[in-house]
Amino acid sequence: MKIITANRLTDGRVIYVDDAGEATTELLRASQIADEAADERLALARSRPALFVNPCLVEVVDGHPSGRDRLKETIRANGPTVGNSHAWSGT
Amino acid sequence: MYRYDEFDHALVRERVEEFRDQVARRVSGSLTEDQFKPLRLMNGVYLQLHAYMLRVAVPYGTMNSRQMRQLAHIARTYDKGYGHFTTRTNIQFNWPALSDLPAILEDLAEVEMHAIQTSGNCIRNVTTDVFAGAADEEIEDPRPWAEILRQWSTIHPEFSFLPRKFKIAVIGGAKDRAAIRTHDVGLQIVRGDDGRTAFRVFVGGGQGRLPHIAQEIAAAVPGTELLAYLTAILRAWNLLGRRDNIHKARIKILVASLGIDAFREEVDRHFATLRQQDLRIPQAEVDRIQAYFAPPPFEALPRVSAPFDRAVLADPDFARWNRNNVRRHRTPGYASAIISLKAPGEVPGDITDAQMERVADLAERFSFDEVRAAYEQNLVLPHVRLDDLPTVWRALAEVGLGTPNADLATDVIACPGLDYCSLANARSIPVAQALSRRLADLDYQERVGPVRINMSGCINACGHHHVGHIGVLGVDRRGEEYYQITVGGSPDDQAALGEIVGRSLPADDVAPAIGRALDRYLEIRSEGERFIDTVRRVGPEPFATAIYEVQDAVA
Repeated sequence: MKIITANRLTDGRVIYVDDAGEATTELLRASQIADEAADERLALARSRPALFVNPCLVEVVDGHPSGRDRLKETIRANGPTVGNSHAWSGT
Repeated sequence: MYRYDEFDHALVRERVEEFRDQVARRVSGSLTEDQFKPLRLMNGVYLQLHAYMLRVAVPYGTMNSRQMRQLAHIARTYDKGYGHFTTRTNIQFNWPALSDLPAILEDLAEVEMHAIQTSGNCIRNVTTDVFAGAADEEIEDPRPWAEILRQWSTIHPEFSFLPRKFKIAVIGGAKDRAAIRTHDVGLQIVRGDDGRTAFRVFVGGGQGRLPHIAQEIAAAVPGTELLAYLTAILRAWNLLGRRDNIHKARIKILVASLGIDAFREEVDRHFATLRQQDLRIPQAEVDRIQAYFAPPPFEALPRVSAPFDRAVLADPDFARWNRNNVRRHRTPGYASAIISLKAPGEVPGDITDAQMERVADLAERFSFDEVRAAYEQNLVLPHVRLDDLPTVWRALAEVGLGTPNADLATDVIACPGLDYCSLANARSIPVAQALSRRLADLDYQERVGPVRINMSGCINACGHHHVGHIGVLGVDRRGEEYYQITVGGSPDDQAALGEIVGRSLPADDVAPAIGRALDRYLEIRSEGERFIDTVRRVGPEPFATAIYEVQDAVA
């Protein structure tokens, strides 16, 4: 399965494409897309450049990032793991 | 320090308005991300993992209290209450909204700051010795020359679309505290045969995927011809450099492939023409710029200070901070104080808005209104009376800025890594924090003495791992973070690249491994040897053995 992630145009925050094709900041609300439908959904996200900046596909297992980008996408979903922004994660 | 003239003000204000319009067009959808990206990069705006990031230029690392307070205001108003000083003596804000960026740039312009040429394929912010104008061994203050280079290179039409970025560092004497030989061009002030200012020029240094130590290309270029010579270097590279492969586009690759002698011939060919043109710097202009950097009105003070001596005797914590963070000043009765941004368990280079306010207050009251950013991700109050050092230390310690670890094992350089950076393969901050916790014992750190430990979260080497005495490079191994260790690198006048000592380690093993390497140094060092001296004498092998001995025992 795949999800689509991007950065939000106005503030760069991490967003996902939800089931309605809109943006959500919550990984758990990201639309789970079958592999064969992923490219088509990605093209739809790309057609809305005023909302989704640099949309791309992420592999997921049980809704959580997996594969090569597992760590990067987990950090994107939850915020920096340490430091001054740690308490702000997800905002 | 330098103050903007009418042209500087006009240029920066025009750029703010231009970018305001570009942001508005991006938000309205009339510019695509692909169209907008080069425009935002020209204004220091990146898009990182979680948000936009704004990199603000701190020319040659020098700021006044008003500028530092404005940075605090920006951190508080538009970000999350902190900023991050980088290895190019700039400051980054990690969370600004795109729509706030024009207002931030306007606030910066108010205090004669901007974000121009902090990214993109242009000549970047020129760096220098953090103790310029205070160190007693320099031939001449390098900052006026750094300012001349800033003015020359800012929005220079020939150098706005270079094959890749281009970094210049300049120092005022033989002692290198700016890592000049890791730069595309490193400049060292020397005296020419005529006794006038000249520059020993190094070219082709750089870190990243293919690291090179810069080689000497000229022994003494006259100061008046510096811009002609640099133009010749840039022109030779601009014409011959690889634009077809981003990994081979830096000048270091061209210099290495041609060889320094052939590259010198190319440069000399251009220089023969350029030195006859209007690139000569008039002495009156040099004098005018140098006047901005005239020494502050130092008092005639005795070499010793009773309040300082009393504090050293009375307070062992102050005595320790003095031992490690205070540097000799050329003027009797004064010293330079390093403000460590490496408190135990904190993020190297991070500083909160409240801390910035405190630093601004101290700079204004005790350091002739000047504070410097060091490439090691610390700050420096360059001109503090010995009498005032105890007061300054107490005020710093109150806000968590009194860590007495400058140049010691926990004074780690670390890039933002995978916690923030879209290029990173692995995190670097947690590894630096783990090392900071493991080596927290200051008595131990002082026993080990000066050692430079540098960490990068990817091969781009923003954390200068190649030239750390001990370097740590984060790598991705099938989705897991691993760390490659190098030993024997050096950023200074004996610049060298570290040697990889063995297979990469999982994150949890890095701090203990470095601890074992330092323990091995304590066992084998000769009298008076620093860590790097011992490495140069015995090679990396004993340290490699120490780093891997536990793992090998288990295996």
